[in-house]
Amino acid sequence: MKFFIDNLPIVFPYDRIYPGDYAIKYDCVPLLAIQGHCVLEMPSGTGKTVSLLSLIVSYQQFHPTKRKLIYCSRTVPEIEKALSELKRLMKYRISCAETPEQREKEENFIGLGLTSRKNLCIHPEVSKEKKGKVVDARCRDLTNSAVCEKGRANPGSVELCDWHENLGTHEPGTLIPPGIWTLADVLQHGRDNGTCPYFTVRRMMPFVDVIIYSFHYLIDPKVADQVSKELSKDAIVVFDEAHNIDNVCIESLSIDLTRPMLDSASRSVTKLGEKIDEIKITDAAKLQDEYAKLVEGLQEATADTSPEDTFMANPALPDDLLNEAIPGNIRKAEHFVAFLKRFVEYLKTRMRVLHVVAETPLSFLQHLKDITYIRKTTVTSLIRTLELNRLDEHSALQKVASFATLVATYEKGFLLILEPFETDNATVPNPVFHFTCLDPSLAIKPVFEHFSSVVITSGTISPLDMYPKMLQFTPVVQETYPMTLTRNAFLPLVITRGSDQVAISSRFEVRNDPAVVRNFGSILVEYSKIVPDGIVAFFPSYLYMESIVAAWNDMGILNEVWKNKLIFVETPDANETSIALENYRRACDNGRGAVLLSVARGKVSEGIDFDHNYGRAVIMFGVPYQYTESRILKARLEYLRDAYRIRESEFLGFDAMRNAAQCVGRVLRGKTDWGLMVFADKRFARADKRAKLPRWINQYITEVASNLSTDMALTLSKLFMRTISQNPNENQTGISLWTLEDIEKAQAKQREQALLLEQEGQRDEDEYGDGGIDDEMCMDVDL
Amino acid sequence: MPSIVCTAKASYKKLPGTLELTDSHLQWTQDGRKNSVRVPHQDASSLFCSKEGAAQVRLKLGLVNDDVGHNFTFTTTPQEVAYSERETFKTELTNIISRNRSSGVLAAASAQTPKGPVTAASTLTPSKAATPAALPASRASTSRATSVVSDGRTPILSGQDAATVFRLRKRVLFANPELLALHKELVMGGQITEAEFWDGREHLLLAEAATENQKRGRPGQLVDPRPQTVDGGEVKIVITPQLVHDIFDEFPVVAKAYNDNVPNKLSEAEFWKRYFQSKLFNAHRASIRSSATQHVVKEDPIFDKYLEKDDDELEPRRLRDEVSDLFINLGATLEDHVETGNERDVTMQAGRQRGALPLIRKFNEHSERLLNSALGDAPPSKRRLVSGGDVENPFSEIEYDDLQDHESSPGILLEMQDRRRYFEGRLGRVGAANGGAESSREVIDVQNAFKDLLSRMNGWEGRFSQLKIEKKSSEAALSSMTQNVAARLDIKATKSDFPPGLFRQLTTCQTAANEFLRQFWTSIYPPPSDLHTPIPTAVQRSAKAAKMAGYLVKTHEKVDALVRAAVLEGVEGNRVVIAMKPLMDAVEHALAFHRGRSTALGGGASPEKPGSKLV
Repeated sequence: MKFFIDNLPIVFPYDRIYPGDYAIKYDCVPLLAIQGHCVLEMPSGTGKTVSLLSLIVSYQQFHPTKRKLIYCSRTVPEIEKALSELKRLMKYRISCAETPEQREKEENFIGLGLTSRKNLCIHPEVSKEKKGKVVDARCRDLTNSAVCEKGRANPGSVELCDWHENLGTHEPGTLIPPGIWTLADVLQHGRDNGTCPYFTVRRMMPFVDVIIYSFHYLIDPKVADQVSKELSKDAIVVFDEAHNIDNVCIESLSIDLTRPMLDSASRSVTKLGEKIDEIKITDAAKLQDEYAKLVEGLQEATADTSPEDTFMANPALPDDLLNEAIPGNIRKAEHFVAFLKRFVEYLKTRMRVLHVVAETPLSFLQHLKDITYIRKTTVTSLIRTLELNRLDEHSALQKVASFATLVATYEKGFLLILEPFETDNATVPNPVFHFTCLDPSLAIKPVFEHFSSVVITSGTISPLDMYPKMLQFTPVVQETYPMTLTRNAFLPLVITRGSDQVAISSRFEVRNDPAVVRNFGSILVEYSKIVPDGIVAFFPSYLYMESIVAAWNDMGILNEVWKNKLIFVETPDANETSIALENYRRACDNGRGAVLLSVARGKVSEGIDFDHNYGRAVIMFGVPYQYTESRILKARLEYLRDAYRIRESEFLGFDAMRNAAQCVGRVLRGKTDWGLMVFADKRFARADKRAKLPRWINQYITEVASNLSTDMALTLSKLFMRTISQNPNENQTGISLWTLEDIEKAQAKQREQALLLEQEGQRDEDEYGDGGIDDEMCMDVDL
Repeated sequence: MPSIVCTAKASYKKLPGTLELTDSHLQWTQDGRKNSVRVPHQDASSLFCSKEGAAQVRLKLGLVNDDVGHNFTFTTTPQEVAYSERETFKTELTNIISRNRSSGVLAAASAQTPKGPVTAASTLTPSKAATPAALPASRASTSRATSVVSDGRTPILSGQDAATVFRLRKRVLFANPELLALHKELVMGGQITEAEFWDGREHLLLAEAATENQKRGRPGQLVDPRPQTVDGGEVKIVITPQLVHDIFDEFPVVAKAYNDNVPNKLSEAEFWKRYFQSKLFNAHRASIRSSATQHVVKEDPIFDKYLEKDDDELEPRRLRDEVSDLFINLGATLEDHVETGNERDVTMQAGRQRGALPLIRKFNEHSERLLNSALGDAPPSKRRLVSGGDVENPFSEIEYDDLQDHESSPGILLEMQDRRRYFEGRLGRVGAANGGAESSREVIDVQNAFKDLLSRMNGWEGRFSQLKIEKKSSEAALSSMTQNVAARLDIKATKSDFPPGLFRQLTTCQTAANEFLRQFWTSIYPPPSDLHTPIPTAVQRSAKAAKMAGYLVKTHEKVDALVRAAVLEGVEGNRVVIAMKPLMDAVEHALAFHRGRSTALGGGASPEKPGSKLV
């Protein structure tokens, strides 16, 4: 359908639209024009992605200024889904283009997705590598400019990547025909044409209209530097599924160092030293030359970022630092290496301490004055100059270098924690040096500063004011959209006690109590009896899931489940879990039905949809609180309290509930889909907990359903399933689905209201609103 | 009367009597009295017999809703005869019960159409219709069916040979006694052919084929033989062939050990004994406690060779190909960017409970094995092709179905004569009605009407008190009501069913006529397009219609005969007429249609012509 909002023609690729989607568009149109940031909460599975994409693409195609769209999502499945949505949207737009020019314009629209080399490599050997790091390094060895030059000058002397070489034969900007390419499409295109998919996307970046990649590519300074450099200021940035964006920010600036890492780093340093010595003997002049080039290159790189087109400021390195001259003591490679060696040794000594140490970067630096100006890039380029292969072997050294850089750069918002033991009762030391970022706003600040329109959206970002507070920005629009349904498509239930009336909770003190474990188990057993197809169960942590699965097995509870459904469990290995997931879906499709046990905040909880038969019920066993004994978390809570006045309990509750809502929200997709949402913990019954759930879930929790025992919940569930399984013969159109006429009606109504308001404003000349004598009257009074 | 399959002297609740098995009921009658126990076949669910050589020859029949059931004692002397009699009952009842079980929940209430001598049909094949037992009768029908199949006009379901179709038909008939009776009467009576009978009933065969192809999957439970403790502290594991099969299936390594060692090194019994005591068995048990018992278990040089390392590393021991579907590939996310941030806290590190990992992997593998046993383990890429959907629409996973407007299809135009006139006429009428309404609306003045009403309401109390109900008419009303009730009660009380014989004849007549009607109309209507059966030509179809019409004409005679028979049996003939009225109406309608069509299409003499025009 096609409709207008403020003269902007919007093409929505379906015949109907949800009222919420329309509302989002209505609110965002002015936003795109005036430029500003916004936070939107919209129920999961009601077409958030397609809604935003259709709006922004409509805007892009309507206005002559080509504003790029940078669409960020969390996981590769979500990126792929967003790309598919975009592809479908463009197909629809092409099909409803009115003139040949319009059609051509739509056909020339380019959208690509970017992910790592590991995911996009089609080199027969390199792609076989299991670790992304190794793929990266081997790819670099085959594609870096020095090797390429050598290889081209003297074919056969060095190994090159044919797929990468083939790219050179194409004109830049025409590496791939215009259109929307999903990751799978790009891979296929690469295979068909013998070109490298990864570099195709990278080199096409300046020419695309839409780029879709993960948060890290924009937020993590290490990656953003390489990837997101060319993106211009007026681009529109969307962070989808952004409920965990603060964690991504924090992660991108945090680093861990362990003893093995330091050992490996010191080995690298030694190797580096040897190489330098070797080259010094053989080719002293060359080294000198290369080094001069390197220093020049660094300065050039800095100069490149001319003020009229400042690319995103590197959050790790403030501008002044970048512009500063290269410090003298690392001009000489030998000195630099010697310095790194000293630094690694120093860290090693620090690790010998057998008690926990927490200190600020400032106090750490006092021990170590001269590390201030190490740059990670310096290390990388040095390695490149020395033509060392297999960068991955030096990753530890790189990590040490970036550690040093970060420590030297920030004084506030960070903490260094040395933990000599893994757990409290461990006796063998396994020291870890945590350099942890406490302030999420640091990493995202450059994004807000650089881009004029940033949209943060998710199904679960209640309470809305938390995000602007944590990320330190002022939103122009801040809105949560309710769910309009003609019938309750999902049933949230809070089970607080088992059928034997024993309260259930995942609270640490009682979680391993046999009665609680059995009651949790009986919930699973009973639901596996009555729910068709798929059931997904989430646990608050891996530790708890693994122990409870073992306990259930020994208690014979799982045997009962086996009678009704197959059981799949999330494992530590991602690929193994993917296979389990695939089989789970097969079992759901086949009608055999299955139970998937997984962990909130775990791999499965993010980015995988359990819509329709893949998830007819989600059971949340316990409240997914974070592990409060963690020193890093404690430090973060303290920081939040001091810096932003966010209370510890408030943050913990908010964090737990957003994750619970996230897990539970994955069952719905579209309004004919239905599912049960079971919250099994007595703490969910508390009003303050429920208030933190998104409004669209919370509004459907009735007073009765907020404090149930297992048997009562089962009765309600059965009743619900019986009613919901009926054919929805009542027409949803007009209420939860809008046709074009409905939109026009709504628009007419809005105009009317606006007019009414205006009239009211005119009539109501009482400026102060207090009903007193106004100025004019005062003037008229004849004194 | 129902045909009696077998009969014997038997006592029930210590009362002497006769036990009879008819083709619809098991019935026990006390000597010299009326029926006292009657069990329809559908209710029989289980059968128990006393042992041979016991003092009394007993038979107990369990019922569907009543496990206690009925106890019969065969009283014929000598006892050997009683035995043989019981055996006859036993075999017959076993057949019935197994049929009940296979047909699942055949509603107990559904009346079983009894077979037996019927009007016209029975005269043609008297010997077969009179065959008493249900089983031989159906066998007779099979021989006939094959002969019909061979005539080449049978609609054979695509992709299935005649033998399969025949088998399916047999099963459908067995599962459906009414159909069986109908089949017996019409097909074996030679009135219609086998092919015609099944024409239009293909869905039954398809459904039967589908249920036949649906195999029961393997039960989901893990293979985990739990030892039972026998007194004296010993443990005991009962090994059944099924268990052995499951163990071999679940743990190929045990099968390998078995092949290597039995019977050369170990005997069968010894093999299992040692296996259940070995570390290998403990490793296979689905429990994390087994690791605790590890030290108790003895070393075993044979089985320890097969012991594998526990699969408790973070990465699985058996490496698998990556999942190609990016929508569910979790590894891709992990590799999407360089790992950043601090390591996760202790509780969120997966795989810290080392002991649970082998168990979890066992669950996943077991589930996968079960799935593969049902679906086959084709590689994922192939699987997707097979499952379809994805290939046709690459967006099927992301599309919102409810946002699509499925209803906006152009629809099918209703064909009618002179459409324009109809609508115009309607429009005119609606307009007139509207106009009338409007004009009348103008007349009504609300205030006036209200005033009018008010004035009429004035003094209602006085008039109300004057209200008198005339005695006569009220009494008349009451008496008529009483009469009505009395009449109904009378009917209800005296309402005796038709005598069973007549009733059966009525139903048979009706089902037969219904079948003819069905055949008639299917030959008139355009053939369904979705069935994969060869579509008969127009000529064939019109010929068939004519033939059916011929049969239908005879319905009148049959009903008349029935009326006469009813009078003989002492039932009012009128009742039979009323009972058969709807049927007669339908027949009349069909015949009128047939006549109208034949005359409309040129003299009605050539039935081939209209058929060709129809197509």
